[in-house]
Amino acid sequence: MAANGIFRISLLFGVWLALTALLLPAAGRADGSGFGAIDIPRPATPANEDKCVAPTEIMRREHMKFLYQQRDRTVIDGERNGRYSLIGCMDCHNPVSPTGEAPGYGDPDHFCSTCHAYASVKIDCFECHADRGYGTWQNNTAASTWNDDTQLTATTLQRRLETAGGD
Amino acid sequence: MATDGENHDASRRGFLKGAAALAGTLVAPGVFLYQSGQASSSLLPGVRWGMLIDNNALSERDVDACVAACKRENGWQAEPGSTTDAQWIRKVTLTDPGTGRRSFVPLMCQHCAHPPCVDVCPTGASFKRADGLVLVNKHTCIGCRYCMMACPYKARSFIHESLSGQLPYVPRGKGTVESCTMCVQRIDRDGANAVPACAEAVNRDGRKPILFGDLNDPDSEISRRLQQLGATRLRADMGLEQAISYEGL
Amino acid sequence: MQTTRYAEIRTRSTPYRALLVVLLAFVLAGLGAAHYMEVEGHHVTGMTNQIVWGLPHVFAIFLIVAASGALNVASLSSVFGQPAYRPLARFSAILSVALLFGGLSILLLDLGRPDRLIVAMTHYNFKSIFAWNIFLYVGFFVIVGVYLWLTMERRMYRFSKPAGVVALVWRLVLTTGTGSIFGFLVARESYDTAILAPLFVILSFAIGLAVLVLLLQASFTLDGRELDTALLKRLGRLLGIFVAAVFYFVLVFHLTKLYGTQYHGFERFILLDGGVYTGLFWILQIGLGNLLPLALVFAPRLQGSSRALTAACALVVAGGFAQLYVIIIGGQAYPLDIFPGYQVESSFYDGVINAYQPSAWEWLLGLGGLTAAVLAALLIVRVLPILPESLRGEASGS
Repeated sequence: MAANGIFRISLLFGVWLALTALLLPAAGRADGSGFGAIDIPRPATPANEDKCVAPTEIMRREHMKFLYQQRDRTVIDGERNGRYSLIGCMDCHNPVSPTGEAPGYGDPDHFCSTCHAYASVKIDCFECHADRGYGTWQNNTAASTWNDDTQLTATTLQRRLETAGGD
Repeated sequence: MATDGENHDASRRGFLKGAAALAGTLVAPGVFLYQSGQASSSLLPGVRWGMLIDNNALSERDVDACVAACKRENGWQAEPGSTTDAQWIRKVTLTDPGTGRRSFVPLMCQHCAHPPCVDVCPTGASFKRADGLVLVNKHTCIGCRYCMMACPYKARSFIHESLSGQLPYVPRGKGTVESCTMCVQRIDRDGANAVPACAEAVNRDGRKPILFGDLNDPDSEISRRLQQLGATRLRADMGLEQAISYEGL
Repeated sequence: MQTTRYAEIRTRSTPYRALLVVLLAFVLAGLGAAHYMEVEGHHVTGMTNQIVWGLPHVFAIFLIVAASGALNVASLSSVFGQPAYRPLARFSAILSVALLFGGLSILLLDLGRPDRLIVAMTHYNFKSIFAWNIFLYVGFFVIVGVYLWLTMERRMYRFSKPAGVVALVWRLVLTTGTGSIFGFLVARESYDTAILAPLFVILSFAIGLAVLVLLLQASFTLDGRELDTALLKRLGRLLGIFVAAVFYFVLVFHLTKLYGTQYHGFERFILLDGGVYTGLFWILQIGLGNLLPLALVFAPRLQGSSRALTAACALVVAGGFAQLYVIIIGGQAYPLDIFPGYQVESSFYDGVINAYQPSAWEWLLGLGGLTAAVLAALLIVRVLPILPESLRGEASGS
């Protein structure tokens, strides 16, 4: 009698498996086609593509690992303005406007939130870190007003980027 | 039975090989990507940063200016009378009970060589950097506040509320502990030429009431002045060998 | 000597159910308060940059210290071979685990970043006594679990003595560690003393036993089981010895500090003009928590009285609570002496007695942990055969 039960359960399982295999091709895909597809967010690419850290596909999956490894190097070894600097991320992906405004990370327009809201992954970084770029990493003209004395000069930055082995 | 055993072994071996190969392919991109992306450390080897504060040369307005400069540089605010706002540096008014003479001392994290806060931190978030700065690694800080209990100078503050609008090089957030970093963002940028914000606020007209420099360099200005004039450390009996010394106390 | 029969409590009476509901309500309220504190930040509490550890920590340390002491009865039977306490060994073990669980929950939920529990459990700075404590607490669960299994499994009972020894040593180290959390703080004159470690150990004996007796009497009353007068007398005398020892350690602590002129300010604060702390010290800690229970358990007319013992235990619990409040919060209220010989004043409350007003959230969190521990204990004795069916005449065997 127990064998009968196991047989029934296996049969049901097989039917479920077969249905899934048959229906899967019709299901929603990442590119938006298919049944029930939700278009995954595609945040805007910033203008200065020469400073891209890595191809998009790699960044989507690995950006947390880059940040995770970089943060200890910054805090403990004093590495600043490297390739994986969080300030660097913000300078390119969420720079403040000439009037000094940018979306905060709770705003759905924020670069990180476009994907994180979709994936339902809480962002912890911006509890502490500035969630917008003030131009301090790449010294672009959209400078902030937070303290002009500590703006990095273009020469210092250039030298740093060269020695960092980036680009 | 023997044949079954061999087949079993062969299939198990095959599985393990396949799994190892799969794991290798998964790990490989990460290994490759980790290599590319090394920035350089700002830490200069063999240095120990310290400050010498000449209390005789600091008026009350000077000390207030120090506090205001630190607030501006590091992005913190403290409402008067607040018990929960962070204070990285504060003006302490000393009154000599015998003479009634008042003096004003800027008090901040003393960046001890043997910091009690580092000893007691359960996760090691409170740490002493290679160049002597005592910092909080807020990635690892769990907010237990034990370091605040242990600090002899009450230098640490706990962030009691959500913050926004943080400055780019000074991350600070709710639920973690922080204290004076000796403007580590300036030190990492300028090295021995760095001037912490408090020093910058009062150093003018050729005087340097707050002198920053490398204590391990016998030729640095701070070392020479310590050699000539001497200075005291707060609660020196505790043997913590702080990086901050005071003249005129 | 008859074999003790253990059985789960079976009552379905209204008082029992009502008790469970009330306890559960407090547990949920405590969780809600913790969530609110985490989302809003600690500014909603009474804890500040001056008083960094508040009422939740008093509750938590009370529960942790009581957890260690609750295992005493089991140690007395397994390690010191006193058969009178053997029927209570299982209850002693599960109560210690339940109390530790309650205490740790409060501590973890009060952290500034409770979401970083994994960080706390994987990053250890072994110079920190706090890190050692985390390690010891986790180990305690395992060791007491093993001890309980060995005690309950008849075939393994002969291993319960070595397990009991391990558990005894472990919890003495654990409680020494808990006391040393404060004893190792060289910065504050209210701490920085070696005597805090043994003081916490002896305090654990007293409040652990008091909590055990209270919950034992409660469960037996709820389930209609009988407690034996002779056993009550023994427990009472044991409690009296522990309370007397606590009083002795407190006496030595304060006498030593009173001898040094540099500590006169602190001692004056605690003993004379500290307001709430002075009141708690003399009235609740010494008077009601030490002296009155001693009278209750040693008075000839009250020997073996169940009510007198209940009252004494309740008073010891209250006194222990007050003692921890004075140590933890009173110790922080007294200012640091950074500039000896000067009067100091600053925007960061240097040189002044620090004020502390616990908020409702802290009360809820603390009570939530306490009720979680009690609830856990009551539920465990319902599903496992922990409590002896009857303690009648057990104490007479020796």
